[in-house]
Amino acid sequence: MPDGRIPQIGVVFPRTDALTKVSGEEKFAADYYGQDLVWAGVKRAGIPHARLKSLDVDQARQVPGVIAVLTHLDIPGENRQGVVRKDQPVLVDDKVRHAGDALALVLAESKPALAAALNSIRCELEPLPGVFDPEQALAEGAPLVHEDNPEGNLLLKAEVKTGETESVWEECAAVIEACFETPHQEHCFLETESGWAKVESNGKIVIVASTQTPFRDRTEVAQVLGRDHTGIRVIAPYAGGAFGGKDGITVQSLLGLAALHSQGRPVKMWWDREESFSAGTKRHPARMYYRLGAKADGTLHAVEVRLYLDTGPYDHLGGAVMTQAVEHSGGPYRIPHAWLRGWAVYTNNPIGGAFRGFGVAQVTAAMEQMMDLLAAKLDLDPVQIRLKNAVRRGDKNCVGVTLTGSAGLSECLEKMAAHPRWQERQTWIRAAGLLKRRGVGLAAVMQAVGYGPFVPDVANAKVELTLEGKIRVYSGVVDMGQGNAATNLQIAGSILSQTPAQMELILPDTDRTLPSGSASASRCTYTFGNALIGAAQALKERILQRSADLLMAAGPDELVLVSGLVRRVTTGQEIPLAVLAKWLTDAERIAVYRFRAPVAQERPAKDDQVRLHGLPHCIFSYGAHLAMVEVDELTGAVEVKGYLAITDSGRVLNPQTYEQQIHGGIVQGLGYALSEDFRVTDGLIQTSDLATYIIPTAMDVPDMLSIPVEINEPTGPFGLKGVGEVAMNGPLPAVANAVAAACGGRCYSFPLTSERVLQLMTAS
Amino acid sequence: MKINFILNGREIELTVPSDIRVVDLLREELDLTGTKESCGSGECGACTILVDGQSRLSCLMLAAQLQGREVTTIEGLAGNEGRHPVQEAFVQAGAVQCGFCTPGMVLAAVDLLGHRPDPSRAEIREGLSGNLCRCTGYQKIVDAVEMAVHREKG
Amino acid sequence: MREVFLPRTLDELWDLLHRRPEAAIYAGGTDVLVKLRAGLITASGLICLERIQELKGVRDQGDEVYIGAATTHRTLLADPVIQEHFPILIQALNVLGSPPIRNMGTIGGNLVTASPAGDTLPPLYVLDAEVEVRWGDGAKRLPLSQFILGPGKTSLGPGQLLTGVRLRKSADYNVHHFEKVGQRKALAIAIVSLAAVLQVSDSGRIEKARLAWGSVGPTVIRSVEVESALEGRIISRDTLTKAAALAQTAVSPIDDIRAGEAYRRTVAGNLLLRLINYAR
Repeated sequence: MPDGRIPQIGVVFPRTDALTKVSGEEKFAADYYGQDLVWAGVKRAGIPHARLKSLDVDQARQVPGVIAVLTHLDIPGENRQGVVRKDQPVLVDDKVRHAGDALALVLAESKPALAAALNSIRCELEPLPGVFDPEQALAEGAPLVHEDNPEGNLLLKAEVKTGETESVWEECAAVIEACFETPHQEHCFLETESGWAKVESNGKIVIVASTQTPFRDRTEVAQVLGRDHTGIRVIAPYAGGAFGGKDGITVQSLLGLAALHSQGRPVKMWWDREESFSAGTKRHPARMYYRLGAKADGTLHAVEVRLYLDTGPYDHLGGAVMTQAVEHSGGPYRIPHAWLRGWAVYTNNPIGGAFRGFGVAQVTAAMEQMMDLLAAKLDLDPVQIRLKNAVRRGDKNCVGVTLTGSAGLSECLEKMAAHPRWQERQTWIRAAGLLKRRGVGLAAVMQAVGYGPFVPDVANAKVELTLEGKIRVYSGVVDMGQGNAATNLQIAGSILSQTPAQMELILPDTDRTLPSGSASASRCTYTFGNALIGAAQALKERILQRSADLLMAAGPDELVLVSGLVRRVTTGQEIPLAVLAKWLTDAERIAVYRFRAPVAQERPAKDDQVRLHGLPHCIFSYGAHLAMVEVDELTGAVEVKGYLAITDSGRVLNPQTYEQQIHGGIVQGLGYALSEDFRVTDGLIQTSDLATYIIPTAMDVPDMLSIPVEINEPTGPFGLKGVGEVAMNGPLPAVANAVAAACGGRCYSFPLTSERVLQLMTAS
Repeated sequence: MKINFILNGREIELTVPSDIRVVDLLREELDLTGTKESCGSGECGACTILVDGQSRLSCLMLAAQLQGREVTTIEGLAGNEGRHPVQEAFVQAGAVQCGFCTPGMVLAAVDLLGHRPDPSRAEIREGLSGNLCRCTGYQKIVDAVEMAVHREKG
Repeated sequence: MREVFLPRTLDELWDLLHRRPEAAIYAGGTDVLVKLRAGLITASGLICLERIQELKGVRDQGDEVYIGAATTHRTLLADPVIQEHFPILIQALNVLGSPPIRNMGTIGGNLVTASPAGDTLPPLYVLDAEVEVRWGDGAKRLPLSQFILGPGKTSLGPGQLLTGVRLRKSADYNVHHFEKVGQRKALAIAIVSLAAVLQVSDSGRIEKARLAWGSVGPTVIRSVEVESALEGRIISRDTLTKAAALAQTAVSPIDDIRAGEAYRRTVAGNLLLRLINYAR
């Protein structure tokens, strides 16, 4: 164990999973093989929009080593899946709607046989005119992605209006209008989509998958296979990164189907990087029209926003992402008059889906640049204009919802204003070398925690005293790298006074752990942690009470739990937990606890669909970010020389895992800001691998400084709020504001490649 | 074809298809799944192994090339006294998140420290620049390598 | 299954090439094995050069230095002779690929791949490198610029192998400058690169200039006009700006996924302005 001590809250607790990961022992979904393994793979369309005329798999079936070639005709249940709207076929039956659509599933004895069979499938596809721009897709006469959708290519529209919308602009001393465009962003988790499945002797289908959502997957797979969900077990090992890209079905349904045709042999599917790019989801590209007005003193008065999000051909979570974007589009500010609209639109581009930030990275990119433009126009300090308008607890936010939870943005901004990196920025800027320009930029960020008002944001924790006297914690929420599994040990260990060596961890498994929702929405430790505290406390009380009875003590107050045993402080008598466990019934050794996250009572959107898709939230994390950039005058290359993030995500449970989330979010955001230029031309991905889609290496990012502002969130476990996403939202606008300051002009399309920045410098 | 090489300190002899990639040989034939694959084309470093002490990409090596070599995978890095100092530093410094880049990253760091025992932070970043990580932002990995250096110095 | 051969001597290799003329040859594998995975190479056999000692290492031969074609970038980076005499090559190797790519990839591989973005090419051009090509019973020596014919194209005939690179030591230059513009600082393919070796007098006058650009044409671009525009002049913003304008007309870049033609052209010129750092 990394640490033989009993974990404490608020103190560094080296992650227990690091031990098995650093030694190579930890088994990810991609690491499952087994005797008599069958390889499964998918034939993909390769063109963005086409009618499926015929599919000839005979030749593929003849390839030596091929076990089965399956098409939509082999799907026993429903051939449509999706988190909210079921609009995505498992295997295409009528139309190809994007180039990554799956046409056929092949099972083979070996990888070479699989490849040969996939190459021998002949498909007759009649190309259809495609639609590749969300605004064009809404125009009259645009090709339809789903002919049966009554609203054409519109998936969902969300609208929130507060105050007035017409007369208010005349009351502003300054009004800024601008349009921003952000691109797709690819998750680039290191473990591409993978899984393993097998039908057990009792007929149950076991699926081991790299997923964020084992319980929801089970339901979806059951529907596809036309079975009861009890006939399916989904196991979710540590995922090798996910970031939203494994929120929902990737390989699971295909593997379930494959397992039905593998004669009891285990089946493995592991997408290569190119397939991950083509078939996986991405952050939605957004076109964002903004109008923002303020009084002369910088008080924000009105905002009007129109957001167009390209969701590709399937909802996936596009409606929810767009709704969340609308909710955050006015930023973490008090704005009395807001008219915020968003459209999630079907196209034949790659699928838009969940990605850390969930719509907020896009709108923060726009809104925080609007704030700098406004500050410049009014000749105000960028920190002060944000501070003047920052939401505080009890305020109404930009969608008119009263913030009942903690809101520490002002504290973050005040710390930023006083920080040497801000205070001494002019000195730093002036020290730029020959042929270099420097700039410092800011952004204020926020991120909602949890699912919102409608979908129950629930976790069910389970803790067991095993017969061996150990504390077994059943994690209900997947650990995709963020460290919540180890945090669960930390929480349970701190409450039950056990060292890591005295504890065991069960990772999410639909047969063993309890449903606790997805690993997403900055909710993992917030929601599950609350449930776990309840379960651990219940078990602790039971252990102490039953020990008191056994030792004939007056009551549990005389007893304390220490690692591995219970001690009676008045006499020094001890009962090892392994002994106590034998005195308890199986039911008594287990404690469970359910927690549901609080929801906002106000209803800012009239449309119930918008509420269903998650608006509004009531708990938010906040932050203030600062980027120090140096621009090369000859090449336009932007180098981030320093970065500071001051974050309010409530109390910090483990400073190390907390900082991991901040650092990771910042660097993913820096990639989004500077190099991750995902290119799609007429529905075809041009940046199809890691050689052409450029994520940062260790040399491309600076050492970062992260400062927590620990304001207690009364509803959070030990006062915590979610921290998984909030840092993702700052880098693009902070860097963009810094580059604008350095170059005297601004780009409105992202990322800020050297090419764009050089053009900008030439123009200005 | 038949190949002989030293794998994690043990001499082994195998009969393998000569053109099987080393990453597949390790993962599929030898059950050493600590060596990861993430791109298959030398762009990410997840499949890094040490061959005669130098980091190599096992996705761009064929089994035949192992003949007579000394190979260390992540599973063979720990000594009798337990974790290698770099592994220990990765745990303590919080350099591990999802963990999928970790084996390759650790081995890259071991190679780096083998020929540059006291690197600056910039040199560490350079030494690890063939290994992509999407979780950590690299900072704690750099911290870990520094920590390993300082502990080695005592 | 493909047969993989690891000859230990050149004689073994000639024999193999004779028997298996269709086989694909690789040394480090950082290019050929990537193409193999992508299905761009369909050869039924593979010949790996890594065990042929004759193809490896750096030999100091007095006025000349001979580099075996299968010498890895890492070996070159650590070589004191290369460090002393060809610092511009060291600069380019330092930003080639990534550490594991440099551990595996070889100088010969970089040349045979003949990508206009090959990082060692511009330095080798300004150093007037010659290559040695051998075959079963013959050998020849030719300038690198005659060896590389176009993107992915060399003058290698059937049965021929690039066996080495020859560099002449020269005391002419006191400025060795290489700059690569990529999309990131490591694991990057050059969008534009510039290799420049200059002889600059104590008064700051450029006595001699040799320049080469990568990634802005079908092969490395050299320009006598630009070199002449620099020679005999004091390093100044004005001189460099004029030379930059000439350079922009000398290059012939294309649009690709990494950058546009106009950007490459502009930057090919702009990179000359960096030489202001060497003004006296």
